[in-house]
Amino acid sequence: MDKIKRLDSNLLGRLLKDIEKPGRYINNEIGTKSKSPGTIKDFQSLILMALVFPDIYEVGMSNLGLQILYDIINKQECFSAERVFSPWIDFEEKLRREKVKIFSLENRIFLNSFDLIGFTVQHEFLYTNILNILDMGGISIRTGDRKNKFPLVCAGGPAIVNPQPLSRFMDFFVIGDGEEVVISILQRVKKYRDNNKDKNWFLQEISKLDGIYVPGFYKFYYYPDGRIKSIEPGKKVKKAVVKNLNEFEIVEDPIIPNIKVVHDRFAVEIMRGCSRGCRFCQAGIIYRPVRKREVNSLVRQSIAGLKKTGYDEISFLSLSSSDYSEIGHLLDKITDSSKHGRLSVSMPSMRLDSLNLKLFELIQSGRKTGLTFAPEAGSQRMRNIINKNIEEKEMLDCIKMAFSSGWEKIKLYFMIGLPYENDKDIYEITLLVEKIIAAAREKLSGKKLARLKINISINAFCPKPFTPFQWAAYDNPENLDSKFDYILKNVPKRYVNINWTDSRKSRIECALARGNDRVGEVIESVWKNGARFDNWTDFFKLSVWEEEFKKAGLDIDFFTTRNLSKDEILPWDIIDIGISKEFLLKEYDRAKECL
Amino acid sequence: MTELKNVCETRIRFKFYKKDEFKYLSHLDISRIMTRAIRRAELEIKYSLGYNPKPKIGFSPPTPLGVESMAEYADVLLEGNIDESAFKKKLNLELKPQMQISEAREISGKIDNLMNAAAVVLYGFELNICSSDNKDLLKRFYAGLKEDLTTGSDFCHSIFDLKIMPVEGSSDILLLKLFGYAKIFKEENNEIFKFNNFYGFFKNWLKEYCVNIKDVKKEELFVLSGGILKTPMEIV
Repeated sequence: MDKIKRLDSNLLGRLLKDIEKPGRYINNEIGTKSKSPGTIKDFQSLILMALVFPDIYEVGMSNLGLQILYDIINKQECFSAERVFSPWIDFEEKLRREKVKIFSLENRIFLNSFDLIGFTVQHEFLYTNILNILDMGGISIRTGDRKNKFPLVCAGGPAIVNPQPLSRFMDFFVIGDGEEVVISILQRVKKYRDNNKDKNWFLQEISKLDGIYVPGFYKFYYYPDGRIKSIEPGKKVKKAVVKNLNEFEIVEDPIIPNIKVVHDRFAVEIMRGCSRGCRFCQAGIIYRPVRKREVNSLVRQSIAGLKKTGYDEISFLSLSSSDYSEIGHLLDKITDSSKHGRLSVSMPSMRLDSLNLKLFELIQSGRKTGLTFAPEAGSQRMRNIINKNIEEKEMLDCIKMAFSSGWEKIKLYFMIGLPYENDKDIYEITLLVEKIIAAAREKLSGKKLARLKINISINAFCPKPFTPFQWAAYDNPENLDSKFDYILKNVPKRYVNINWTDSRKSRIECALARGNDRVGEVIESVWKNGARFDNWTDFFKLSVWEEEFKKAGLDIDFFTTRNLSKDEILPWDIIDIGISKEFLLKEYDRAKECL
Repeated sequence: MTELKNVCETRIRFKFYKKDEFKYLSHLDISRIMTRAIRRAELEIKYSLGYNPKPKIGFSPPTPLGVESMAEYADVLLEGNIDESAFKKKLNLELKPQMQISEAREISGKIDNLMNAAAVVLYGFELNICSSDNKDLLKRFYAGLKEDLTTGSDFCHSIFDLKIMPVEGSSDILLLKLFGYAKIFKEENNEIFKFNNFYGFFKNWLKEYCVNIKDVKKEELFVLSGGILKTPMEIV
């Protein structure tokens, strides 16, 4: 490869002048592990990988997956990984004005000097940021335009289980768990470089690995109406799965950000996968099978990690932490390891029933923040349809108990526009909120009642690939808006704060999630029209997205408000996620049985 | 009882710098980094009592973002009997080279908290004239500065003292003592400079006289003790 090009260190000061939160761009945190030209004799011989998180530093540094891959790669002698995040708008302007390419944090290496660039993609609204980063790195965004052998560009993460919308931009995709496959990939990159093989050889080699999808090796044929006629070859790409999580120790010495990030705490994954079968939930399917970490080593490594990092908060992560069988034991051991009140423990995605509330008491000693419930639907009928098996009585009992033990802040998540939804289901959302307020009146005294806060977050249901509801239609925005208006009008005003994502924005998200490779053209032109940070309401350009779909001759409704037919070939059918289409169909049918 | 208390806890005042990339970190970032480093060094900070216990550590007033500082101070109350030099050594192992402790001293008597005590801050910076052949401009700049000092502008309230050290070529090093945060000044005169934006503060001046400043550095901090300015370490 060419000589590695780096940012002149004198330039950084000039670039950072008048930039918001310059701490995002300065590296030098405790726990960085990239090899450096100063300490490695033959830095040029290393395979360099850029781990790119296409969002700002504060969001990217809160992602455990990034820390895990960073740790695994940098433990290897011949490989080195460095981090790249999306620069904020002001810094992008500065870099473009000064004609400086985007660079990695650690050794400030320009993006196009890396051998491999790997994007981790958490959601669909990061697609434009990906193109923007490639462009800022002086790299052609389309794989067909990248004639040089390096850098190779790939993507992984939950949002690319349907890789098609990004397929024209990526040399290959990594589907599934990255821990093992990332090393296999880098070994082949090394062979490719050291033996001066051609690109096709490399892509052939990695396509033999589980989890690797090379879009260039597949051809999609379409019917005139836009549905897929056939995909060739038909052989599916099997998701990469780490069989035993315990073989990978948790990262005891992660990078500790210098500035405040979204999740500023020591994070530990206790379990991967979820045994509950909510029919709308993509994570519940794509992270299967359920694999749990062994509790004693978890305790040992968590205590060691807290000591090494100096964090005063630990977070136990999984899709459903209360389903971890030894959760009580784990919490006991961790809280016992530190002085009372010095360590906070947080556990997102905890199923709230009366049993678990006791656990909450244990971990929230003293400080009571907020409790989050995700009933998702207002009526029992609808909760049965989506297979969110939680009974209203159980939920209300738990909320009452929470009020009695001093909680005053509650957050509720609901979805509207779910399959088979009717007016009564919407009405029951308002009813449930009323019941919760009644419970609060019963349990909270005057002063505390005055402080009661119920934050309600309402989202439009968006059918996602590999879920039993993947065939279901996205409700049309007019319906969604009137349903939301109804809730807004009829829900008690006092104590309640409602939050709603624009139904037309969610429709774009849905079109991207269920999109085919032609949607890539839209992403490209929207980005060229200035779109980035689409997830930020201030920056989301709805009219540009709608306009560009039209210009590309694609009907948004084709991807969204249409019920996909069951015998139709879906853009993501090329991926074998480990769960059969028959199973998903059966689950979809079972939802109907609940009517 | 008092004796027992002395054995159980140690109060330490320490001075540290933040330079190079670390000048881009805010006051809150720095205090978070320091608190975590203390925990990593297995030194135990005492916590306040009450509903929401807070670690007993207090810092000197913030240095503006983007300005290096050789004189950051903090007071910390630690569990146990901790030797000041061991404290410095242990903690420095847990800190990056851009932020290191230069001095640590055990506090025995009663002492004012740093936020309220800081009376005067000494800044140093290099002054460059844009066109190198015009040393005359520099003279006019100094004249302007003196005039500002005497005419009672907002700016004059902030300047306590000014020293100019000529260096080679077309630049000088300016040492500027500015009034700080001390309680006494806050009460007497609420127009005191808040250090929020050092460059903004100088901007008009610089434009008028066509000069550049670079390498702004917080050099030292002074507190009033018995009517005299002393460094926070001198009064321990």
